[in-house]
Amino acid sequence: MNESDDELEAELRRLAADREPVPAALVQAALDAFGWRDIDAELAELVYDSLVDTDAASLVRGTADQRLVSFAIGGITIDVEVTSAGPGRSVMGQIAPPQRATVDIRYPQDTVTIETDELGRFESGPLPPGPASLRLRPPPGGEGPAIVTDWISL
Amino acid sequence: MWRGIAANGKGVLVSPDDTGLLVRSAANGDEAAWRGLVTRFSSLVWAVARAHRLTNADAADVYQTTWLRLAEHIGRIEHPDRVGAWLATAARRECLQSLRSAAKTAPTDDMDRLDITPAVGNPTEEAVLAAETEREDAARAAAMWRAFSRLSGRCRELLRILMATPPPSYAEVAAALGLPVGSIGPTRARCLQRLREEMAGIRDGLSPSS
Repeated sequence: MNESDDELEAELRRLAADREPVPAALVQAALDAFGWRDIDAELAELVYDSLVDTDAASLVRGTADQRLVSFAIGGITIDVEVTSAGPGRSVMGQIAPPQRATVDIRYPQDTVTIETDELGRFESGPLPPGPASLRLRPPPGGEGPAIVTDWISL
Repeated sequence: MWRGIAANGKGVLVSPDDTGLLVRSAANGDEAAWRGLVTRFSSLVWAVARAHRLTNADAADVYQTTWLRLAEHIGRIEHPDRVGAWLATAARRECLQSLRSAAKTAPTDDMDRLDITPAVGNPTEEAVLAAETEREDAARAAAMWRAFSRLSGRCRELLRILMATPPPSYAEVAAALGLPVGSIGPTRARCLQRLREEMAGIRDGLSPSS
């Protein structure tokens, strides 16, 4: 019985490899991901995502297209609100404690750079859906290590 | 059978110990080690996305985000030898996020059914399927794929993850599904039995004498 379970599973495995292989372009993207590492930066980890950390039953249909995501490193928090508008996305964020910074919005095709205001608030224009990460740098003339956030899917 | 050791696509043996070494080498900037990790776990990450019945575009996002996240975390992985479970957990989290996103306007079930269920009510694919039945192996494969697609949620999820190449460990399967490791073996046996029953039903249905 066990023997034939193993055989059946192996047959299923060949079937999946044949009918649903990983697209070659995605394998290349996974290889390329290594180049996105920012070794010198501090990593602000994802600590809250309203889509995952909220009980599914409590998600209200009308507000679900506003997603709240928080990243944290040391005493610094980056709160981001992701808004969907058709196929596009936009992000509005705030650094706490409030401070000026330069924000690179990184996604595989490109990087968009914006400046926060004096309260650490920032807002993007339209972004493509897909993986994205933020890199925060001290404002021009400032000092200190950059901070990168975990990658999320917008 | 020791499930943690298996031949990868290039015929190289990869053991859990080697996996830890690959993580540590990649953390030191070794690009070949990173390539080794992608080779070893690409199919698993893809299987997690497919198991959650995402659209192609969403599955692609999950896959890519998961690898980008590992790249950023590579020097901070607490148990390098368990990076497969780390990836499975990260991919699962991305899948849940994707499924709950309000941006997905089509009802998930319908879209996913279109996405992965072959040859149901589609004349062209029916014709293809009919041609395939000329060869017994192809017919069996088609019946098996269709039977797999018909399985209930939990069984289809579990089996799809087990179908990764090389075979994932039970710890990786458990991480991918958010289930206790101890439940994987019994659930696998039950789901494979269900698959056999579905296949038997499909065979009977296709038989000219019935």
